[in-house]
Amino acid sequence: MPKPMQILLVEPEALLRRTVAMTARSLNLGQVHEAASNDTALGMLRSRPYQGAVISVECVGSGNQRHYDLSLVDQLRFGDAGVSDGRTMPIAIMAHQATPQLLDALRERKITRVILKPFRAKVLLEAIAAFAGPASPAASPFA
Amino acid sequence: MQVAPIPDNEAERLAALYELLILDTPPEERYDKIVRFAAAEFDVPIVLFTLLDANRQWFKASVGTEVCETDRDASFCSHVILSDAIMVVPDALQDPRFADNPLVTGEPHIRFYAGAPLTLRSGVRLGTLCLIDRQPRTLDALDLGILGTLRDLVVMELTHASEAADA
Repeated sequence: MPKPMQILLVEPEALLRRTVAMTARSLNLGQVHEAASNDTALGMLRSRPYQGAVISVECVGSGNQRHYDLSLVDQLRFGDAGVSDGRTMPIAIMAHQATPQLLDALRERKITRVILKPFRAKVLLEAIAAFAGPASPAASPFA
Repeated sequence: MQVAPIPDNEAERLAALYELLILDTPPEERYDKIVRFAAAEFDVPIVLFTLLDANRQWFKASVGTEVCETDRDASFCSHVILSDAIMVVPDALQDPRFADNPLVTGEPHIRFYAGAPLTLRSGVRLGTLCLIDRQPRTLDALDLGILGTLRDLVVMELTHASEAADA
């Protein structure tokens, strides 16, 4: 029996995290490890290899300086955070809104899946299932 | 309308239910948030966390209804507690068990129903977490998995509450 995929889910809402993790386990989609914050996630990423991550990003700053906090993604893609496979790991991003600035930033970071609000467990589980196989070229990157 | 038979372990089932001291208690956020989550996740107008008493089904948590209980005889949930499987009724009007049920022909005009039994470790089934829509629909494997998980979370809360009271 193949080893289950190890997936990291970074999401502050506990009920959504729990639902995704428990359902993924019950349907043999993978072992979903839960992190409520970027700090917790970074520690977990350093402690073991993952085959994918679903990361919720929040807006920070105010006025013209308002932007999505992509610091965890940057640690993975560009940083020297000691995370194995961080530069190539498939990542799906959860965001409230797809702004042109966000989409440009995600393209630079080779992120091909964006999950928009309202966040549903089913959409997150579909994203996790997609980590296991090649993405369909016809599939929309948005949910 | 087919009235569900009484489970063989009804006395044991009711004893376990009464032991929880939960019937007719006020709403609790830990259950309310699960039914709200389910309503948003499945985009259904009504979600219920029901407990099957001797002659009624009582709602510990609900979305989409002001009613807090109905007769057991007309309840879909009394059919669900007969097995461990999630019961899905894609279109109640096409199902001989429910087509003339007053909850189908009248308020709240149930067409779609999916109920997951709340089964304790002892095997008794106390009630359901159920989704209701006023139009026919179906659930796929992922939906069923998610409903099963939300049901498990309700059971975990019930069990934890019981263990905490015993401590």
